[in-house]
Amino acid sequence: MPLKLIPLIPLLPLLAALWIAIGYAFGGNRGEVGERQTSHLALFASGMSLLIILAVDVMALVDGTAPGQLLVGEWLAVGSFVLNISFTLDTLGLAMTTLVALIAFLTLRFSVNYMHREAGFQRFFMVMSLFSGAMLLIVSAGNAALMFIGWELAGVSSYLLIAYLFDRPTATASATRAFITNRVGDAAFILALFLTITWFGGVEWPDLLQGVTRLDGLGAGLLAGAFLIAALAKSAQFPFAPWIGRALEGPTPSSAIFYGSLMVHAGVYLLLRLAPLLEQVPALSPLIIIIGLLSTLYGWLGAQVQSDVKSSLIFATTAQVGLMFITIGLGWYEVAALHLMAHASWRALQFLSAPSILVQSEKPPRAVAAWLRRQRWLYHASLQRFWLDDVSDALLLRPTESLAREVEHFDSAVVNRVVGHVQSHSEIGTGRGVAGRAMEWLAIRLEWLEENLILRSGGEGLIGLISRIGSQAQAIEKLLERPRYLWLMIMATLVVII
Amino acid sequence: MTEHTFPYISLMLLSLPLAAILIWLLDVRLARWVALGAALLDLALAVAMVVAFDSSVGEFQFVESAVWIPTLNIHYQMGVDGISLLFLPLTTLLFLGVVVISWNSVRTMPRLYFILLLLLETATLGIFTALDTMAFFLFWELSLIPSFFLISLWGVGPNRRFAASKYIMQMLIGGVPLLFGFLLLAFNHADGGLVFDYLRLLSEPLGQEPQGVVFLLLLLGFAVKTALFPLHTWLPTVAMEGPLGLTAILLGIKLGVYGLIRFAIPLAPEAAQQFHWLLAGLGVIALLYGALMALVQTNLRRMLAFSSMSHVGLVVLGLASFNIEGIQGALFALLNFTVISGGLVLLTAMLHQRIGTNEVITLGGVATTMPLLAALFFLFALASMGIPGTNGFIAEFLLIIATLKSHTGAGLAALFALILGAGYLLAHYRRVFYGVARSQAILAAQDIRGRELLLIAVLAVIVLVTGLYPSVILDTTRSAAELWLNGRNMP
Repeated sequence: MPLKLIPLIPLLPLLAALWIAIGYAFGGNRGEVGERQTSHLALFASGMSLLIILAVDVMALVDGTAPGQLLVGEWLAVGSFVLNISFTLDTLGLAMTTLVALIAFLTLRFSVNYMHREAGFQRFFMVMSLFSGAMLLIVSAGNAALMFIGWELAGVSSYLLIAYLFDRPTATASATRAFITNRVGDAAFILALFLTITWFGGVEWPDLLQGVTRLDGLGAGLLAGAFLIAALAKSAQFPFAPWIGRALEGPTPSSAIFYGSLMVHAGVYLLLRLAPLLEQVPALSPLIIIIGLLSTLYGWLGAQVQSDVKSSLIFATTAQVGLMFITIGLGWYEVAALHLMAHASWRALQFLSAPSILVQSEKPPRAVAAWLRRQRWLYHASLQRFWLDDVSDALLLRPTESLAREVEHFDSAVVNRVVGHVQSHSEIGTGRGVAGRAMEWLAIRLEWLEENLILRSGGEGLIGLISRIGSQAQAIEKLLERPRYLWLMIMATLVVII
Repeated sequence: MTEHTFPYISLMLLSLPLAAILIWLLDVRLARWVALGAALLDLALAVAMVVAFDSSVGEFQFVESAVWIPTLNIHYQMGVDGISLLFLPLTTLLFLGVVVISWNSVRTMPRLYFILLLLLETATLGIFTALDTMAFFLFWELSLIPSFFLISLWGVGPNRRFAASKYIMQMLIGGVPLLFGFLLLAFNHADGGLVFDYLRLLSEPLGQEPQGVVFLLLLLGFAVKTALFPLHTWLPTVAMEGPLGLTAILLGIKLGVYGLIRFAIPLAPEAAQQFHWLLAGLGVIALLYGALMALVQTNLRRMLAFSSMSHVGLVVLGLASFNIEGIQGALFALLNFTVISGGLVLLTAMLHQRIGTNEVITLGGVATTMPLLAALFFLFALASMGIPGTNGFIAEFLLIIATLKSHTGAGLAALFALILGAGYLLAHYRRVFYGVARSQAILAAQDIRGRELLLIAVLAVIVLVTGLYPSVILDTTRSAAELWLNGRNMP
């Protein structure tokens, strides 16, 4: 019986998210009145998921074996390519799903009180439900494509959680950055899915894992490499590490939990799932170990210099996940799995208690260790988070942006002139007489100025200057409005006249 | 082919001009109600067609045929197959949406506006259903007249007249190779006589030699409408200057690619296979060019125009793969555009009606006063990025898989464009919707509600339902797509 209900495990939270969204759109659950209804729905969905997975657990314990692969039905079929809805609840999947369902439920319960009377209560519970549904889908999915769906939905909901306080520019910038970093991993995941489909004809985990034994070294290396990039981006490992350090803009510790203690482990889980594939490519192990090592060092040194509790926790998380990657590289998959579970639970507890610790403890934060302070360069590098953001800006972001600008210039200066039909003069209006002509000339120049300088600068450059000048002028005017200055002005004018 | 079917198509095509005449005769205040009624009637007819359609057959259904110009052997021959069927309900829905957003915003000459809109809908539906190359061409050119007047009279930009003439000039120039292509096809038919009948052209294909010329002529003609590089310059201009309703139609309904699928490729199948590199090349250039251009735009509509160019590039790339994932993905994507790009432009139009501008610099903090508009825009942006759960994901996934299979390098470029896509959409989203409200107009604006909310909610439901249950679309297009791919002559 519980086996039939397994699809509901990820589905219920997703439905709850949808229902909250619909309710909000049509005004059913807005305001403080709607809080109770919203939180009850989210908790009910999450609780039911937990109950179902616990029932499956009990059944597995009684039977002595995990249910394994379960096929629910066909989702889409194009040509020879078929995508199924299926679930893999082997020992690993079962344990992970239980863990995720439990932490998701507890966090939601915690948030009910924490978020009380916050603006955006409904939005928060909608996104949290979406997130828990996506996470449950990642860990219970029976094939790579279904896991990818959860993978991307988790990315979207983390974007929404980071940008929760959307009037803060840093929050929204961090959210965008996190999502685009994750998107790089997603592109690699799609490549891996393509390779899987081409080589094995399907994406079911058992097909994939049995198929890999037939692959040659290069093929297996390519496949494992693509999956590895996806895992690194999701788990915030070197060189994708910085996004998670900026991701703490979310409203509560409970949203931090989701990427600090659940989503960050998705990459590790993916690699654990792919253990037979990794064994096929021994050449990849040193690479995984080195990446893990670098991430551990990054996280550990970064944590030393953080001054707030949430940031040091998130850097510690990166370090711990780095250790998991090292153990995976060494081939100790059970150790990595145990480490994952222990770390996820422990970190969840830490994140939830962090605000209370902040409020209740009177001790100032611990100073940076003495040995680190002596190493000036290392200290500086840790403070700057090893310039990973700046490096990716310089190597990827800025070249793309300048390329885009050049394309834009090419478009208006060459393509439009050759292919279109260029406007001979602007249709602002035609003036007559000297004054009219002068006005027209001025208007055209000003339009050029607006198009090329003001609009393209995106508002930060010239507009900023203008608004500064404006505010200063306003300050001067305020001064002038005071009577004594007015008197002074009048007297000065009189003096000048006389 | 059934013998005697209910004339759905003629009824659709006739009801709109009749409604236009009615608008002319009746009082100004009734104009929008008549337009709404006609749009609803056509939507109902289109839905009825979908229900009555037998998707297990790849052949044309609801075929109506009558001799039109006997001396030239031109027929009024209409019909739909799995490829064109679903465009009808989505097109009629989008036109309904345009009527809804024009409800209060068109103040000058509303009668003429709605008449032109209905005529444009007639021409568009005619393009999707014509099974005679000359009838198709007539509808194709007919669509230009209402577009011209809509842009030049109701455009929102200061250069609307220029935009209208630019659009018309480029479209007319694009029409020339189309006409020559169709004439070549007609003259070179095995019969010796003039053949414009699409079904006969299809079943008795052209000899090897003229195919190349015909394909290149048709490709050139359709490339203008598709806005492939370097023939795309009209698209951002019209998006900036034209009325927002027309922008929604131009970005949502991709007639150019439909022309490629319906005429250019099946009527010159061998040549199309030979020139797969050309299609793929044009596709990948449009894909990257559009994505890069979208990254640096300063206006929401212009960004959407380039984003649409980029997405269409991916569709052309998928077509060039000539495999079942490619054609199924391409059809899925084209149907999606109607809802996704159409929805995004309709939301942009609602924003424009409230704030009076779409310049990014004057916007910001829209989410504070218009949470629903912001949330729905985000949903459609997600669909445009191809996030699972939305219909965009299915199309994009199939297209990328197809492309990686046939043109691996181009497929990798498509993966890169995937990252760019998230970049330009989220960067613009951040600047427009997040942050602190920049102006009094934003602070005073009201969120969408009533008929606007209903309209967008319907589109959102389509995005989610076809995203979660893609078989609705894939099963309808499957037989026709397989027939398209394998040709009618091969067993």
